[in-house]
Formats: sequence, C-alpha cells, structure tokens
Amino acid sequence: MRLRHFTYSLLSALFLLALAGTISAQALDISSGGLPTITGAVNGSVTGDASVQGDLAVTVNFGEVSPLNTSSIVKVVVPIALRSNQPYQVAVSISGLTNANAQALQRSDVGFGLQNIQLLGGAGKICTQSTHVIQSPFNNDPALSAAVGSNGRVTYSSSLANLSGSTVILTGPILSKNNSSKRQTSDGYIFDAIFTVTPQFFAAGVSSATLIFTISPGPNLPC
Amino acid sequence: MPRLITRTILLIASLIIAAVTCSAQSTTGTVTMSATVSKFVEINSGGAVTLTGNSGGGVTTDGVLNSPLAVSINLGELGPSNTNSFVTASVPLKLRSNASYVLAMSATVTSSGTTASRIGAADVGFGLGTISRTGTGVNTSGTDTNATSGDPTLAANGSVNGTTGRYEFTAVRSNLSAFSSATTALSGAIIMNAVPRSNSNGLTVPALFAVKPQFFENGTTTVSVTFTVTAP
Repeated sequence: MRLRHFTYSLLSALFLLALAGTISAQALDISSGGLPTITGAVNGSVTGDASVQGDLAVTVNFGEVSPLNTSSIVKVVVPIALRSNQPYQVAVSISGLTNANAQALQRSDVGFGLQNIQLLGGAGKICTQSTHVIQSPFNNDPALSAAVGSNGRVTYSSSLANLSGSTVILTGPILSKNNSSKRQTSDGYIFDAIFTVTPQFFAAGVSSATLIFTISPGPNLPC
Repeated sequence: MPRLITRTILLIASLIIAAVTCSAQSTTGTVTMSATVSKFVEINSGGAVTLTGNSGGGVTTDGVLNSPLAVSINLGELGPSNTNSFVTASVPLKLRSNASYVLAMSATVTSSGTTASRIGAADVGFGLGTISRTGTGVNTSGTDTNATSGDPTLAANGSVNGTTGRYEFTAVRSNLSAFSSATTALSGAIIMNAVPRSNSNGLTVPALFAVKPQFFENGTTTVSVTFTVTAP
C-alpha cells in the first residue's frame, strides 16, 4: 500500500514536471543555424554545432591578422536559426575588444553584417503583411563593403563598433508555424552573421570579444 | 503485473521529461572570438640604385621598388685611373613594421690581392642617409636612431691618413670593417599604423657605399652585404 502511494506520488510529480516544462516552453528561440565557416585565415578556426537543433555557441579564432597573413580578408560566416510564435527582435551585446592602443585591433576593425535571412524549412511561417528587417547599418556583407579609409585603415559599412549596449539587429513577425516547445529542423528562419577582419599592420597582441545574441518579443508586426 | 505497468509508466514519464529537457529552447546564444597580431617586419627595395663617380662598371641588377632587395653593382675601376674623388652607390631601402625594429647589417669583402694595399673592408665607406617616414598609413611621429655616421663621403667622416697617405673612413661605423658581423645600423619605433599590407608606404633610407679610388693593389674585389630587420 505504501509502495503504491509512493509510486502514484512519484508519477504525479513527474507528470507535473513534464507539464511545467510544456507550459513554460519558450515562444522564442535562438540556436545554431548549422556549421560556421571560415576563409582566408592563417592558424584560424571556427567551431559550432552543425545541427540546427543545437545551441548557438560558436568560437571564432581569426588567427593571424598581421601582414603575415597575406589573405585580403578573413571571413567567418555563422548561421543562426530563429524560432518564435510571436513577433520578435534579435539584439546583440558585446564585451571585450577594448584595446587602449589605437593602432591595435579595435571593434571597428571587425566587420559585422547580416545576410541571407530565409526559411529554415517547411514549418517556418510565411507572413505576408510584414517582413523580416535587418536593422541599419547591418544589412551588408562586410567582406564586400570593406574599403580603405582616408587614413589608410580598412573600414566597413558596419562593424562591432556599431554595437552599443544591447543593439537590435533584426526584427520581424512570427517565425514558426507550429507552437512546439521543441526545436525542429524546419520550424523557423535562418540568417548568416558575417564577421570579417582585414589583416593589417595592427599593433602586436591578442584580442578577444564575446557577443551575446538575444531573441525577445519585438514590435507588434502583423503576419 | 500492476507493478510492471507502473514501472513501464514510470519509464515513459522519465523519457518524456528527458526529451523535454534535451530539446530545451534558449533565447540567447554566444559567439566568442579572438585574433592574434604577431610582430611583423620586412625590408624591401626602396627603388633604383644610383651609381656615381664610376669608371666603367654599372648597376648589374637594379632595385625594384617594393620588391625583395637583391641588388648587384659593379663599381668599376677603383684604381688611380678613375679620377673621381669617390665612387658611390646609393641603395634605397624600404622598411615596414608593426613593432619597434632593428636593422642590422653584415658585410664581407674579399679581394684577389695579397698585400696590405689590396682593397679591404675598411676601404669601403658606408652609412645610412636621410631617413624618411612619409605617406598615408606611416607612423610619422616615430623616431629612428641612425647608428652610422651618414654619408661616408662627408669630410667629417673620413680623411687621408697623415702617416700612410691612405684615405680612411674614420667616423663611427663609417666603413664595412665595423660590420664584419651583424651590427645594428638603424633602429626605431613602429613604422606603420594599422593599414593593410597593400599600402605600399613605409620608411625609406638610402644605404650609401663609397670607395675612394687609390693606388690599391690590382685585382678584383667582391663586397657582399646583408641587411636584416628584426623586431626584438
């Protein structure tokens, strides 16, 4: 009798936990959009989850960005997947990369732009009354917008220097057809976050930065 | 039997919870990035060689601006039949760096002569000329230290030895005997600001070589000079 009570209690607890998990399922999700890539690097690398159901946790090593790297540019493409059952916005905040030496690598030396927002698959929601908008000035491929400034240093249409606090980079309407609490392989949208560094006569040293991408409820855009 | 059913339900419930947990969604993701800038220095040709005061000879392999430095010069006749006061060769150098630099030089002089009157390292004057930091992307506020005495043909840098009658380059590091092993000729601060390598500007300085035509022992002489730039 006691065992039966214990079993029923345990079962109830388990179901309540499962129910709680379902009820608290997030309506907004950001995840890996696939395997990131890197080109033009010397001793560089990029790691991330190849699955669109994996967390977004990417580590980029641009490698050598002094003139020892004779590539014209080091380019990293990070696919990012989004899911939501409501209008959303994606913001980015940055920490690090604050070199006191103006000739060392600065945030403005890392090009940052978004491209190729597209359906992840058939379970992605196609809205006709609103579009997904990459916020200014990030709608560009920094590898293509790179230009030499009047002081001889390379500039980009947008860079990490354009991030101030939590900066909204993308907004849009509902992303997902279903209301699943679980990531699926086709239930949202995907876009490319592109990062670039042009090898230059930077002052010697090692630099690092961390970007946090956050998806949250956005402007009330009709679908 | 009821116990079996209970266990089965328990197992299924656990699997459901595990599934919910494993597919947990997230509203944040991170991208961490790093980059390395190593010290970089380079030396290239600063342009064409200028040869003056020569009798015969010529520039065999000329310098090509912004190309690897590989110059070959025939100084021509250095005996008294050459009536010029000096045979001089000016070899433009171009240096670039993202760190403080040191330019060292080493030289060997070999002559077919066998007596003390043959041409030796001390008979080849050497110095670095005017240092120029100009152009977009160049750290124009950086300073440089010329360890040589400059143009070896300057009166202050050499004279006829009153005892031997031989012309001598007497100033500090004013002839190749001071560079029998790698010896600093020039050093200074970062040359380039943060600009791409495609920016062709840099620090330019002429390497000046001079020989005073004299009654040297006849024969042929070969002078080999190697410049090396480092970022200590």
